[in-house]
Amino acid sequence: MADRRRINGPAGATIPPVFDEDGKQYEHKVAKIRDRAPTAIRKMFLKTGVTPSASGSAYLEYESSAKSGVSGLKLSCTVHGPRSLPRSSPFSPHIVLSTHVKYAPFATKQRRGYLRDPSERDLGTHLETALRGAIIADRWPKSGVDIIISIIEGDQDRETSKFQGDETWDMMNALSGCITVASAALADAGIDCVDTVAGGVAALVQDTSDDSTPRIVLDPIPSEHEKILGACCVAYLPIRDEVTNLWFKGDLPASDIDLYTKLVESGIQASRNGNRVLVECLGETVA
Amino acid sequence: MASQQHVLLSPAELAYLHDSLSLTPPLRPDGRSPTQYRPLSAETGILPGTNGSARICFADGTEAIVGVKAEVEKTRRKWDDDTIYDENKEETREEAEGAEGSSDWVELTVEIPGFRDDDSSTVFLAAMLSEALLADGGFVRRLVINRRFHWKVYLDILLISPPLSYPLPLLSLTTHLALLSTRLPRLKSEGDEDPFFDDDWAAAPYLYPRSSNKKVLARPPVTLLVMAVGNNIIFDPAKEELAVADVALAVSVGDVSSSSSSSSSEGEEDVDMTAEEQEGRKLRLLSIRTVDPPSRLTPPGVPNATNSAYGHAQVGEGGKTKQQMPEARAAESEAVEGVWKPPRGGAKALVMAALVQKTLQRGGVADEVFDALEGVDLG
Repeated sequence: MADRRRINGPAGATIPPVFDEDGKQYEHKVAKIRDRAPTAIRKMFLKTGVTPSASGSAYLEYESSAKSGVSGLKLSCTVHGPRSLPRSSPFSPHIVLSTHVKYAPFATKQRRGYLRDPSERDLGTHLETALRGAIIADRWPKSGVDIIISIIEGDQDRETSKFQGDETWDMMNALSGCITVASAALADAGIDCVDTVAGGVAALVQDTSDDSTPRIVLDPIPSEHEKILGACCVAYLPIRDEVTNLWFKGDLPASDIDLYTKLVESGIQASRNGNRVLVECLGETVA
Repeated sequence: MASQQHVLLSPAELAYLHDSLSLTPPLRPDGRSPTQYRPLSAETGILPGTNGSARICFADGTEAIVGVKAEVEKTRRKWDDDTIYDENKEETREEAEGAEGSSDWVELTVEIPGFRDDDSSTVFLAAMLSEALLADGGFVRRLVINRRFHWKVYLDILLISPPLSYPLPLLSLTTHLALLSTRLPRLKSEGDEDPFFDDDWAAAPYLYPRSSNKKVLARPPVTLLVMAVGNNIIFDPAKEELAVADVALAVSVGDVSSSSSSSSSEGEEDVDMTAEEQEGRKLRLLSIRTVDPPSRLTPPGVPNATNSAYGHAQVGEGGKTKQQMPEARAAESEAVEGVWKPPRGGAKALVMAALVQKTLQRGGVADEVFDALEGVDLG
């Protein structure tokens, strides 16, 4: 299904040429090493009410590292509704939730089209699952709410021209940001929720410097690690101590269930940390 | 959504289902045990125009076919790959096999009748199935022909019956069998030459190689659907059962047999290598996704205490409506025995861990499913 209404860029991506300096063999850049503690997540900036025309909105930005060319995730979320469903739609005893996640065309190294691609639709489904558990849906029968997230900048390292296959892991970070920002925007729109839900990511990584023992880190940046063995994204309600969405991906031995459990626990910990920012931000708005 | 198509069950029926599934042992509508799959009939190699195909029909009438087609494609050179291809240079097979595959060598499409192909549920199913297949990189490594060429595999998954239940287990099992029956033409050329194949189909090797006694060495992953109701864990839920689920998970499990695991194994795996070597089957946890259970969208039941037909005053004194009274709000969230209330909030992390544990444990359901799949005649 091609987008015929706009003039799109070329379909195939070109990687800019990398020249040797002074005839020296181009060497791998010094690998960026994680300078945070394994249990620390990146700093976040969250602000609600940024879009006046929407009934609720929020903006989330992750701290970008000191190195130039590496940007943090930037997300903006608008919530439209609750509003009545169109006459043609069937009766619903609950609020009808529709989520829409879209990367801006310039958000990632590889340009995204204007139409949502399967990975963006997939993110939307994950987000919907995470939020549906949090919203008290039966307070709004016959109504709908649209949650629209645009990812203005994905967190990717633009310096390396190498294709690292990080996209799959970047999706997890993007999802966790989406959940947190959507939760803030829902609260801003005044839609009743059982609790604020925040996303958190934990990964089992293997570093070059380490003596090859995999360790668990919170809020991983894929380019900082040699290899990611597995990662999970958790949407967590701290007051009820419940998980509304769990997405694990990787390759773990089935016999070692403890490793998996530890990974999920770290994900929950990351989500708790995110939630603290969320609650503080909402508190500021009220005050 | 396929998982949330409207179930035409009344709140009373839902409450009954929920209660009978929460009993110990649970009483399922079709009389299965909690870990039992629906009976199915399977066949492979049904489509002569494909490299591999399979059909599975579940007893409840849902049926799926999968066709696997492969094409030769030129491998894009990596940016740091400065090797000049020398036709005279001797190259060992191992060197070519060391090459890493890329995930865009596999194209997986799912078609569900009545749903658009860009519908979020269809995309979710396709993403889940391809995620499991690509998780360990072992599958794409099989597609390397030499350093210049690879196979591009198209997996077309068709549900040919209406989606009577959530089709994930059916589609996953069918894909598994289709991949097992997939054969690629035998390569006659050597090294990095342009590939040239044997035209004798009988000589074509399987994508997943067999040992001499026709036993499959490694197997493609399988995705299992698990749900929890009350304190019970139920596998392969039917549509009605999923309609009362507290939480539903899709767990993808891979099977790396002892012979072919060495290339992908690293680090922590070596510890349990010795213990499981004798078993022959080494399960890997590849992915887990939460499936949004349709139970959240079911209509709630009305308890007698708030039902005006049973003498409850609909309008409070002083013209206050029910919504404005704080007591009414409290009543709204209180659970009444025997009255259906859609689940709110999420699931405890421990419950989710129990679901995964029950799937993966030695002799658990994942083991059983792989055992059963071994029984299918692959022709």
